[in-house]
Amino acid sequence: MKKTLIVAGAVVMLVASGCSSKPNAEELQQLESLKAEVASLEREISTKESEKAALNRSIADKNAQLNQCEQDTKVVQERLKGM
Amino acid sequence: MENQIMNVVRRMSLVALAALVMVTGVLAQEMTKDEWQKQMNEWTAKRDELRSKLNTLQAEVDQLKKTDAEKAAAIKKCNDDLLALVGATPESERAFAAMLDQIDSKVNELSRLSNQDLWARKGEIDDVQKMIDEARKSKLSLIPKYYDRLKEQQNRVDALRRSLESAGMQSYTVGTWARDRDCLWNIAKKPAVYDNAFMWPKIWQGNKDQISNPDIIKPGQKLKIPPKGELTQDEKAAARSYWQRKQAAGSAQ
Repeated sequence: MKKTLIVAGAVVMLVASGCSSKPNAEELQQLESLKAEVASLEREISTKESEKAALNRSIADKNAQLNQCEQDTKVVQERLKGM
Repeated sequence: MENQIMNVVRRMSLVALAALVMVTGVLAQEMTKDEWQKQMNEWTAKRDELRSKLNTLQAEVDQLKKTDAEKAAAIKKCNDDLLALVGATPESERAFAAMLDQIDSKVNELSRLSNQDLWARKGEIDDVQKMIDEARKSKLSLIPKYYDRLKEQQNRVDALRRSLESAGMQSYTVGTWARDRDCLWNIAKKPAVYDNAFMWPKIWQGNKDQISNPDIIKPGQKLKIPPKGELTQDEKAAARSYWQRKQAAGSAQ
């Protein structure tokens, strides 16, 4: 009885594993390429986000410079009137 | 005997079966086609999502670059307009800024001097004041950054003048020779002045504006008495030159 059960179990496992199909080498390579492309895209996005942050800082700095220049212009106009 | 052989065969069969089950288990861990397809779908979706995100980011970066360039142009125009308002050009502004740098440098140099050395070079404070006054004549001085800088420089020059005053600068009114025996030598010798006759060149050099010949001072003349201290190089040089002239005059007679 015991022997029969062992043999049956082994047969079931063999059928379960051996009967389902597996991807071939080309398909596995395709999956690896896809993963590499995703990794590359993630790096590109990280670079772009840094570039975007730097541009935002640069624009904020220029806005401040522009405001300062406009204020200076008003002050100079007032001082010229007073001369 | 037959039983023993049967037992051995049975055991070997069980071992072989166990080995077969283990190998099958290992093979079963490899990816199946269904699992591959599932992963392909997941990674493809992720790639498409990242491509879309990258495209969006690229568009944002392009727009930000454009805005940045526009802001840079606006700043340049504003600065050009500001210069035009005060009738200046970038070149004249550079020259003006260089003049302010020169004033800063001179004020820094004078600020590092002791009161005694400052007294010896007090004429340079007046020179710096002239430079500040000159700079103020330019309309560029109306621009806040230059206006504030000149104001700060003026404050520092005023502080230098106060240093001279607080150094206990005395004055001495020259008496008559008949009554007081006042000459630079004797004035310097007075305890209330330097208590040291050899300090007379200090009084001379401190009053160059009113004493050309140190042998001649007039009653009633109000002399400035520079702070006590060693003779400066200029004062020593003036004394040497005086004695050389005296010797030359003596030899001629």
